[in-house]
Amino acid sequence: MIDVKNLTKEYGTLKAIDNVTFSIKKGEVVGFLGPNGAGKSTTMKIITGFMAPSNGSASVAGFDVFENPIEVKKRIGYLPETPPVYADQFVSEYLKYVAQLKKVPKDKINSFVDRAIEKTNLGSVRNRLIHHLSKGFKQRVGIAQAIVSDPEVLILDEPTVGLDPKQVAEIRDLIIELKGHHTIILSTHILPEVQATCEKVVIISKGKIVAQDTIDNLSKLEKGQGRIFIRLRKEVSDLRSVIAGIDEVMSVDIGNNKREWRIEYKGDDETIDKVSSKIVSNGLGLIELTPSRVDLEDVFLKLTYGMEKGG
Amino acid sequence: MSSIMTIAWKEFKGFVKNPTFYIMMALLTLILSLLFTVQMQKFFQLGSMAMTQPGMGAQLNIHYTVFLNHLQILNLLLIFIVPAITMRLFAEEKKLRTFDLLLTSPLKSYEIVLGKYLGALMALFVVFAIAFMYPLGTAMFAQFSWAPLIIAFFGIYLIAAIYAAMNLFCSSLSESILISYVMAAILNIAVWFVSQGVEFADSQWARNILEHISLSFHISGLIEGTIRTNSLIYFFSGIGLFLFLNERVVESHRWR
Repeated sequence: MIDVKNLTKEYGTLKAIDNVTFSIKKGEVVGFLGPNGAGKSTTMKIITGFMAPSNGSASVAGFDVFENPIEVKKRIGYLPETPPVYADQFVSEYLKYVAQLKKVPKDKINSFVDRAIEKTNLGSVRNRLIHHLSKGFKQRVGIAQAIVSDPEVLILDEPTVGLDPKQVAEIRDLIIELKGHHTIILSTHILPEVQATCEKVVIISKGKIVAQDTIDNLSKLEKGQGRIFIRLRKEVSDLRSVIAGIDEVMSVDIGNNKREWRIEYKGDDETIDKVSSKIVSNGLGLIELTPSRVDLEDVFLKLTYGMEKGG
Repeated sequence: MSSIMTIAWKEFKGFVKNPTFYIMMALLTLILSLLFTVQMQKFFQLGSMAMTQPGMGAQLNIHYTVFLNHLQILNLLLIFIVPAITMRLFAEEKKLRTFDLLLTSPLKSYEIVLGKYLGALMALFVVFAIAFMYPLGTAMFAQFSWAPLIIAFFGIYLIAAIYAAMNLFCSSLSESILISYVMAAILNIAVWFVSQGVEFADSQWARNILEHISLSFHISGLIEGTIRTNSLIYFFSGIGLFLFLNERVVESHRWR
């Protein structure tokens, strides 16, 4: 559906993105992850045909973004960082205008506008001036604007910025609802958002792609590495000495108190066996043992912040 | 074509809903009303003088003494009205980032420019409708020929159309409404000065050139009620030039 090859964008001497290559299949929901200023927005703007790259190519649904921009733009719904709404228009009037701009056939405009309003829960404000809406509502109008033409591809640039937790949850639900029907690219620097909605993640840092994979695979980034969380009935001053004999254990860290511990190991499930039997045979009273995988946040920090430190 | 009309209607509705537009039109009405009555009074005075001095009445014509002065005043006011109409069309969109919407919609750059230009022309039509009320009112108690009057109005509308093309271009250059207004007004005044320069130029050679690029030279024919093709070509190529430059500016946004 979306193919990006060797994309580079230079602002003078500053390279906003550098040799970015990725591809997205039809129906996928992809999280575009990166710290502020990593080049997420730039990449998205190029895919939407908003700006041209210095080098490389991008295509959407088989149409090259630069040779056939009109065909590409018909197929894309785009929510920029600032929702592009006109303060002096009514919500439904604005959506109708956008539908006309996106060349929605005349007889379908009204039903498409109604559908977008319904999906984004804007029914209560459809006859109000956009000027009088709160930021959260404006953001939703922005999303409605992106989906009003029923595009094949949805590109949402930080769709939940500035919203309260309830609205964030609603927008997440909306994205999940839109899944399957549209191919979605979602940029954010908020990790739970990606975990909740996306199947695939592209992590970008300083203009370069540092990882692209499914969330499952990324979470298991380091092969054979695992982490277990242990809760005990008795307080232990140093769990390290208790399980000292096991070679596979890499680190032992204390949790909130002396009853909770985190153990990182390198090895297979047998290691967990060994650890638990040591604890039980020492009579420490094992209450809970939870194997957990490295979560996205660790991967993200390791790939973006860790590289800066040279780690 | 439909996209052009979509944008044009949206812009026109934006004007009609904007209180500033009404204030502007009210001021326009005030100035025109004051000056039109003065012109009328002068005309009546001359008329009564003509009754006592036979032979003078031959020179007296309502088209020249009243309506043309009325249009000259409108022409002068347009220097400041047109920038006020066009100033926000591009500058505001860029500032509020709604321009992103237009640039990511399946539109060609010329469609965006023409749509906005037509929107401005529609707003100017309101200005001319107001100005046309005065001769219309006069028709209730005086008889005159309509054709030269309408052609003269058409001529001034062409001037407004040139101003609109130039000022829309100014709006596309800046993100600030104020800068775009000042730039546009200065450009209009500069063009107006070219017309004045014709009278002050020393060499015949310079005068000929200035004459052909000055608006007033080309408008004089229309104002007297004659349509000349070279003037029409002059007006339309002027409009075309600035719309083309404008289209280039919009297109350049895609390459930054």
